Order: sequence, then structure tokens, then C-alpha cells
Amino acid sequence: MPFSFFNPWFWLAAVAAAAPVWLHLRHKRQTNVVRFSTLRFLDDQPAPLQSPLRLRNLILLALRVLALLLVVGAFCWPYSPGVDTAPIRESRVYVLDNTLSHQANDGFGQDRERVLNGIARAGSDVQVAVVELAAAPRVIVSFSDDRQTAQRKVRGLRPSFQRGSYLAAFRQANALLANSFGQEKRIVFLGDNQANQWNENVHTPPFLGDVQVELPKPAAGRLPNLSLSDARAQRLFQGDKSLVNLTIKLTHAGEARTADFILRANGQVISNRKVDLDGQPESILLQAQWEAEPASWLRGEAVVEGQPDALAGDNRVFFSLAPVTEGKVALLAQSPYLRLALSPEIMRGRWAARVLEPSRLEAEVAAGQDADVLCLESNYLQSSEARKLLWRYLGNGRGVILLLNRVTPTIRGYLRELGFEADEAIDASERGEERFQFVFSNHPIFHPFLSPDFGNLMEVKVYKFIRLRSAQALPLVFSETGAGLFFQGTKSQGKLFVAAFGLDREHTSWPVHQTFIPFVDLALQAARAEDPTPTSFEPGEVSFIQLPAGAVAREVVLRDEGRELARSSVEQGRARLRLPDQPGLYTLTYDDRPQIQQILSVNPSPKESELTYVESPEALRAWRVDSVPSAARTALPAPRARIPVSGILQQRWWWWMVLAGLAALMLETVLAEMRKERA
Amino acid sequence: MPTTTERLSERFDPKMLAALEGLDFKARYVMEGFLSGLHDSPFHGFSVEFSDYRNYQPGDDLRHLDWRLYARSDRLCIKRYMQETNARFYVVCDTSASMEYRGKAAWGSKLECAKVLAAALTWFLLRQNDAAGMVSLNGPNGAPEFIRPSQRSNQLGLMLRQLDLLRPAGGACLGQLLEQAVRLVHRRSVILFFSDLLEPSEDVALGFKQLRFHGHEVIVFQVLDRDELEFPFGDAKVFEDLETGLRRAVNPPLVRQNYLARFGAFMEAYRQLFRSLEMPHCVMRTDDNPWQALAMFLAQRKRLK
Repeated sequence: MPFSFFNPWFWLAAVAAAAPVWLHLRHKRQTNVVRFSTLRFLDDQPAPLQSPLRLRNLILLALRVLALLLVVGAFCWPYSPGVDTAPIRESRVYVLDNTLSHQANDGFGQDRERVLNGIARAGSDVQVAVVELAAAPRVIVSFSDDRQTAQRKVRGLRPSFQRGSYLAAFRQANALLANSFGQEKRIVFLGDNQANQWNENVHTPPFLGDVQVELPKPAAGRLPNLSLSDARAQRLFQGDKSLVNLTIKLTHAGEARTADFILRANGQVISNRKVDLDGQPESILLQAQWEAEPASWLRGEAVVEGQPDALAGDNRVFFSLAPVTEGKVALLAQSPYLRLALSPEIMRGRWAARVLEPSRLEAEVAAGQDADVLCLESNYLQSSEARKLLWRYLGNGRGVILLLNRVTPTIRGYLRELGFEADEAIDASERGEERFQFVFSNHPIFHPFLSPDFGNLMEVKVYKFIRLRSAQALPLVFSETGAGLFFQGTKSQGKLFVAAFGLDREHTSWPVHQTFIPFVDLALQAARAEDPTPTSFEPGEVSFIQLPAGAVAREVVLRDEGRELARSSVEQGRARLRLPDQPGLYTLTYDDRPQIQQILSVNPSPKESELTYVESPEALRAWRVDSVPSAARTALPAPRARIPVSGILQQRWWWWMVLAGLAALMLETVLAEMRKERA
Repeated sequence: MPTTTERLSERFDPKMLAALEGLDFKARYVMEGFLSGLHDSPFHGFSVEFSDYRNYQPGDDLRHLDWRLYARSDRLCIKRYMQETNARFYVVCDTSASMEYRGKAAWGSKLECAKVLAAALTWFLLRQNDAAGMVSLNGPNGAPEFIRPSQRSNQLGLMLRQLDLLRPAGGACLGQLLEQAVRLVHRRSVILFFSDLLEPSEDVALGFKQLRFHGHEVIVFQVLDRDELEFPFGDAKVFEDLETGLRRAVNPPLVRQNYLARFGAFMEAYRQLFRSLEMPHCVMRTDDNPWQALAMFLAQRKRLK
């Protein structure tokens, strides 16, 4: 805890130090004055040749003088010129970039040495502080630190995998300079001048006033790099096989022609192949599928290696996948294909379907036993009970898959309430058939279909469909004629997917296409209420972990292979956790229970892999405040160095001298007491 | 050969005296310790017993007529008793601030010593059926306090309570105290005067002369501390006057000789004054036992009888 007048220990110590001083003064008064009965026989005595207060003890005299000098010197110290108190000519803040991208070509290590040299060479009239640019900017060295301490702290910095904000670091440095003594204020930025960092804050309002910014390091232009990012793993089922589908983005910049790609899952090498990069776009989506046990957690990592590669820290990506938990589907549809797809023979262990009786919908509404997903055809929406049931599912955060096999005015009005405008039914068979033309492949439902193993969605034909329009829903599939065929609603709390056609042979060929079963499974998974706990983070990120409904825990514990890294208490179903600085897979458990609740993957931000740099950042010009024209600024007199009270209180010598003065007074008191006892 | 008081002084314990709570116990300790050491007790002869005869005068109380003598010698004589001849005693005590002084060797401050001695004498006098009263000044304003002399049994408690209330305060007040004594004491009495007399003798001479002029016998007990008599201080110190509050830096080794000379002259002036007024003068030291003063008092009392 630093010295401060507001520190209660200071007041306690002051009282403790003052007590012997007070006793000493009281004692001194009692011993030196004799209250005599009369002075009438002494009034004509000669004046004493010696002082009546003559000190017989030279040690006491020396201690008193020393205490007095120290206390006076302490009060004068902040105003006297010297090593630590001379007017400060320059206040300098080094912003040391410790993001992942700065590891390229050992940029961080070189700049750390630059900071150390700068600290060593700075004169006594220069005060130095260092801000580390990481996930959150940190003041590593403050102005009050001495040079040895500053060098030790900087030398102790290690390269990180985090991504930080240039803007936040500059704001931190500017705040430090605002409370500094220097006539000149300077920020020395030692970073890699990554283009995306400068560009993302180019529209920030100006805040750098009267501060010089120095970018001593020339921008490198662009560096070659190989990186992996955006690992997405999903579980798929093909017949009895439980598969894991993984897509990873491989980004390459530079002259690398090939790269070695290694994929491991649960300790086994899944893939080890050479990727041809010649003539390929900068970003390649790598995909892999393999069989995996559905009831256990999947831990995996992928590594890419190749040359040239300036940044090795982004060549590895980690991912995890939760075990399958069987979901429940309430089915209100006549489609035999859908019923077959959801039958136990096909969906065993994944989905348990319960077919609702249309005549007993009232009892179903009253029972309130919702499944995870309701799958229904629109012709049942003629029934008010079915409409109530659908609203209840959406209101409770459950998923709904609505298949529009029929539209009536009643259904059309109800669809309007859901945010859809249903036009007339289109019979595409009259003019041929509609095929899937555009599929939102980045969506979780359709992402696995990028792999040809699951079949080609473009082969699916649609004979009849309802033309739907919606300003709020997200279309996921378009036909050749541009008609939206599959939508995701965004209006309700629960997830709503609307297909513009029924899943029977009258409407589409999809039920007999090989993509049908995987689609149903993926659509149900997407419609299902998600686990609120995110599983993918960046190094050093601070995140709130939302516990699933019904989970009971007092604390969440973050572990790395059994070793506890962090522990955080749960408040209102949430816990605040800071993720580790190192990429990897970390487990999350509740309290002291060993069961794994989540496996969190920590990977560097893909933005850190973009090793493109700018020489003269436009953002820096935008951040400057030109309140005083440069000509007028030169005409202004040099600002007089002022030492504020806070600056005085930061002077360590001041405190040490005050304490030494008090200690000398206490020692003098003890000696006086000992002398008194001897007398 | 050691005198009676010298032998007595061996039994006096200042610590014991200081440990006693209350002025009555201190008075008894002093007086009974003193009396038990005497071979000829002063109680002999001091009683309500017969003393002598005188001729009957018309108007005398017939109860005191000695009928047996009348039967034997046919003379009408009245019995005279010792009680009738007892005197009135007044305790007059100085309470100026200088009486507060107490040296390192003393068993009490000067005022405490004066109070103990006065209490002891009061106890003794009342045991002898003498009447005892008191005159003092109360507080810095010098308001007079007066206790009428009496032989009653509760007089001792009254006197002790008043003595207990005395506190040192104020400056020189001897002149005022003597003036009040002259004003309040009418009948011929014996005045026991307790003071350190640290005022110029010429300032208080008039008061003592007035007392003598009114026919009072005055016994002066001058209470002084060893420090005042010998000035034994060693270190250079600041001296503060208890009465005036003035301070003066003094180097005692250098001024001691001059001080003692001036103090001796001061004491000699008082001795001459009391000699001229035929007043017994006893110097009592606060570090010494008070029996010397009591012995002097008994000797003077016999003379007064």
C-alpha cells in the first residue's frame, strides 16, 4: 500500500510517534522548572554564566538537531532542486505493444530492449512511465518508480497472445501525462503499427492535447504469415454413425506454397496432410469429418506449419465439443417423412419425438409440458389451440419449426403476427420446379453441407411453396427465382424457423434426398435453446459465465488439466472470470465437484494474424487536439514547473525524512528516560 | 546527654505520618506519640480539680461554697478550679501560595505540616479543656474564616474540618491575616500563628504589635522547608515564584552563598521583631519531626499559666 495521508496506518503511526514526543515535552517541563516558594532572595542575583537549559548530554543535542534538520529538510525537499525534485523537463510514456501480432519477427523482444535502453539513458530531468498494451492496458512503470525498479518490471514482461486496443493504451498514457510534471509530454509508441488496429479507431474524437507522439519504429509493410482461426465443430449423424464436422479457416499471406496441417482430437491424430497454397485465395476453409463418441467431450487442436511464417503464435487453434444430450421434439405434422426422420430408429439417443394428437391439443396446452422443439405444419394453425401452443413455445424460449403446407386467411393473419407476410401459394410444377440456389452456408444448419459428404443441397427441388416476405426474418435459403424458402425469425424469444413449403412429396423432393435427415437434425439442434455459456474466448478476456437454468453452484472453477487457475463466485446465475493468457483448452467445474461442466477454448484473435502495417496512421492525426496553433504555441512562455500536493506526497524521500525525524525524537526520548532513571 | 525531644525524634516516622488518612489521625499520631515519650505527663495538674480558695463575695454561686471549711473554720470560702483558669487559644494559619512548596526531603508541604501541627495542638488543648478557635483566610480573595473558641466535644471535628479545607492560594496575605485576627479576637487569648513568614518583617510588624497591644499572647510557628533554609539545588534551572508566577533562570551553585546570606538576614530581622515583642518563635522544618515545636509550646504554656 503506498504512502498517503488517507492511509489509516499513517495516522496510527503518527499517533504512536507523537506519544513519546509529548511525554518527552511533558517530562522536560517538569524537570527544568522549579516552582519555588519565593524569589525575593534571588532577585538581585547575577545572571547565570551558563544557560539554565544547558544540555549535559551531547548525544541528546545531536539527536535533537538531527531530528530538527530532517523534519525541516523533509518539508523543504519537494521545493529544492535535486535528483528527484528538479523541475522535470520531459514526461515520457512508453506504450509497449504486447499483443500477439507484435511477436512477429520478435518485435516485442526488440521493443522491450528499446524501452530498457530508453529508461537507462533518460536523464534526471526526464520522468518515465511504461504502459503495456494488452487485452486491458496496464501501467507497468509509474512516474514514481525508480529506474532500477522500472527496468526490473519491464524486463519481467513476457510476450502475450492477447489482442489489445491501441486507443485504450493511448488513453491510458494520456491520462498518465495529464498528471505529470514535465514541461514536454511525450508518448513513445513501440508497436508494430498493425493496420487493423489503427483503422478500427480512426473515427474516435480527438483527445491527445499538447502531447507529442513518437513512432520510432518504421512500419514493415506486410509480413508473411500462416494462421488458423475460426474452428467450428459440430456433431452430425449419418445413419448410426456419429460424426464430428470441423471447419477451420487457414489464412496465408506471403510466399508460402504449401503448409503442413495436423489435426488432433482427444489425443489422436485425425489428419496430417499437406495443404497446397499455390494459387489459392488467402483464406481457405479446411474441413474434416471423423467419427467420435457422442457421449463424451471432444478436445481438439489443429496446427499448421509452413515457411515463410513471421508469426508462430497463431499457427495453432483449439476447439471443444460438448457431448450429445437427447432432445425432445413435439411433432404436430402429418408428413410421414418427417415422422420417419424423427422415429427412434433414426434419431435414437439424439431426439425423442412425441406426436401430438390434434384432438387433444387443449389438454396439451393445459399440461404445460413443453419439449425442446415444436415441429408443426401450418394447416394445424387453423386451430386456436395450436396457435396458443406455438406462442407458448416461443414465449418460453423453446424452438419452433413451422412448415407452411397450407395458407388460409386465418393462418395468414397469424403469420403476420409472427412477422411474415404470406402471399399466394406458388405451384412451381406448372413451370418446371424450383431448386435451392442460394444457401446461407455460414449458418449452423447449412454449414456442414459445405462438405460434399452430406450431399448437394442444390439438388433439392421444390414444387409448391408459399411466397413469404418478411422485414425482420433472416432468409437462409433462396430459390432460383429468388424466392425465400427457409427463414429464421428474429422477433420472438424462442427460435423460429419457417419453411415455405411442407416436407412431403407434394411440395418438395427433399424428404427423399440424402441431405434430409442431417438437415432435420441440424435444424432441430439450431432451434433448440442454446447453452448460455460461451465456449470460445480470447486470451486474457474477462467474461461473464452464464450458468444454465437449474444449475446449482456457489462457485465456478477454471482448471487446466486439474490445476486450478481461477475461482469465481456465482451471483444471480452469473460468474465473472478472466480467461488465461495462454491459448489452450480449459475446463470449467462447479464448486469442488469433479464433473466437467464446460470445456472452454482460448484462441488468439484472428485479427492479430493480419500482419499488415501502416507507416503514417490516419487515426493518430484524428486523435490530436489542435487547440493552440503551432505558431502561437511557440510564442507562449515556457510553462513554469509546478509541484502539486499529490506530487509532493509521492516523493519518497519526503516520507523517509519525516520518519527519520520522528525516529530520532523517539530515540532521544528513550535516552532521556534512561538518563532520568540513572539520576 | 540527649534531650527529651532528641530521644523522641528517633521514634518519629514521617512515612507513617504521610500514610495516615485524615487530619485527626495525624494529629493523634503526633500528639500521643509525643506525650507517651514524656516522663512528666502534662495531664497532671490540668483538670477540673480543686486549685485554691478565695473569700466569698456577695453574688457568688452558693454551689461553689466549701461547706466543710465553713464548718471547720467558720469562714466562707469559694472553691477555685483549674477549669476556670484555662485560656482561649486561636489557631491562625497562613494560606498563601508559598505554603504549597514541598521539597524533596519533606514529609509534606509547608501548609500540610502547619495543619498537622495545628491539629495536634488543637486536640491537645481540647483534651485539657482549653477553648480552641481558628482564624484563617479562605481562597485567593482572602475572605476571613472564623471559628469561635469553645471547649465542646464537637469542637475538634469542627476545627479539623476547617483545617482540611485550607488550600494554598494567592500572594502575600500576612498583613491581612493579622488584621483579621486583631479584628476578630477580642478577649485576651493565646494565638498560635502558623506561617512561613516569607514577607518582609516590616510589613507584618504592625500586625504583630497590634496583637500584643490587645493583650494577646502570640506563639509563632514558622514553617520552612529544607530547600529554603539550605538552597541545596545543583543544576541550573528556571525558578518560578509560587505566589507571583514570575520566573528566573538561576544557577544555584553560583548564587547559593548570596541567597543564604540574604535569607539569614531575613530570619534575623524576624527574630529581633519577635524578641522585641516577647513572642515565642519556633522554626519548624518540614523534613523534621514536629515534636520539637510541641515541646516548645508546652514550655510556653506553663509560662502562660
